[in-house]
Amino acid sequence: EAAFLIRSEGAGGLAQWVLVELQGEVVPRQSGGLAGSLLGDLHYTCKGVPVLIVGHHILYGKVVQLEKPFAVLVKQGAGEPGPAGPHTHYTVTALIKTKLLFKTRPKPIITHVPKKV
Amino acid sequence: SLVIRGEKDEQAVLCSKDKTYDMKIADTSNMLLFIPGCKTPEELNADQASCDIIHSQVAGFSNNYWELRRCRPKLKKLRKLLMEDPYEGPDSRKDQTLTSSKYTTEDLLSLIQASEEEILHQLHVIDACKIEGYWRVLEFDYEMKLLNHVTQLIDSESWSLSKVPLRTCLEELGSLEPREMIEHILLSYGRKYIDDAGEVYFEMHEDKICRAIAQMLLQNAVKFNLSEFQEVWQQSVPEGMTARLDQLKGLALVDKTSRPETIFLLKVEDLPEDNQERFNSLFSIREKWTEVDITPYIQDLCAEKQTVGALLTKYARSSMQNGVKVYNSRRPIS
Repeated sequence: EAAFLIRSEGAGGLAQWVLVELQGEVVPRQSGGLAGSLLGDLHYTCKGVPVLIVGHHILYGKVVQLEKPFAVLVKQGAGEPGPAGPHTHYTVTALIKTKLLFKTRPKPIITHVPKKV
Repeated sequence: SLVIRGEKDEQAVLCSKDKTYDMKIADTSNMLLFIPGCKTPEELNADQASCDIIHSQVAGFSNNYWELRRCRPKLKKLRKLLMEDPYEGPDSRKDQTLTSSKYTTEDLLSLIQASEEEILHQLHVIDACKIEGYWRVLEFDYEMKLLNHVTQLIDSESWSLSKVPLRTCLEELGSLEPREMIEHILLSYGRKYIDDAGEVYFEMHEDKICRAIAQMLLQNAVKFNLSEFQEVWQQSVPEGMTARLDQLKGLALVDKTSRPETIFLLKVEDLPEDNQERFNSLFSIREKWTEVDITPYIQDLCAEKQTVGALLTKYARSSMQNGVKVYNSRRPIS
């Protein structure tokens, strides 16, 4: 049996995506899935340091060039395997050469500090 | 493009045109989010104009990914498949039955876990040939019969072993065997070249011919008295060729501890393909090996840039015996 990986037919080469790597899990605020919800805001400082704001937490990360880049594969047409049947295809949709790694402990953003009287 | 190959009972490999890679799933406790169109600081710097918010979507996330590691192509199965139905010559009645298992290039590409180039190269190494569109290996006795026709002709014509003319071979032997088979045996046991006049000649491989004849002698018994074997062997090889024990690396093993010394057939291609299983098998045949003796039986296990020494360090334990360094198993062999 064989499955084929094919470069996707797109104008002007393969899309470049970015990976964001977070320690731990991202969970939705309310019950319900993650799909459609806002994850957070991504900023870069003038020195190029990525900053992620998720909920009321702030995370500082770093840009890492991946030693081993990733290819993003999308499975297509998984027909019944068999000698005459179509082989499974995976299309290479994008390449990921860069990741934003956030491994420092998230800091809560405190917007109101009561003054000591 | 790339291909993932493997049957249900095999571990998947990924193949490019000429390389093979093991595929493993790697887990991480971190969460990996993929974001199409996300820009890096360098890309944003270059694009000075925008101060707008860019809305990006997380396309997906994962805790695991497939990792590739270059590996040796898994080619033992190729020989196994082709040996299911070796070609015994045009007179054999076997080929006429419909139940024979024969493989085309396409068949092999979907069954063997290796890249196309690695498969085609191995077919050349094992002297396979295409007969009626199917890849076949010759049955050993038939192969020796063909070789014998050629060596006898060389002898009767008093040709130099390095200048055997194709044309005359086909003329003289064409009535005995198919022309394709005569040419195939010359290609298998010689190096083809064309002289200034455009005539095709073969420079015969002395080592390979002597080795084949040794196999023919050794396969008929469990073991042989070494000196008797060497005598018969030298008498059996073509005039002008010298039979030497170093021609038998990976084919036969000499037992120097028996009195008298003996020799027996041990073919590296009959041994397991997996590293640990190969070493287990070798150590169950002989408890202690010198590096010289074991090298031909583990050479093919070396990965890119890996040495035999590195393999021995990993899979064996060394000790000294009579002033010679020997290797034995790291664990007890049952």
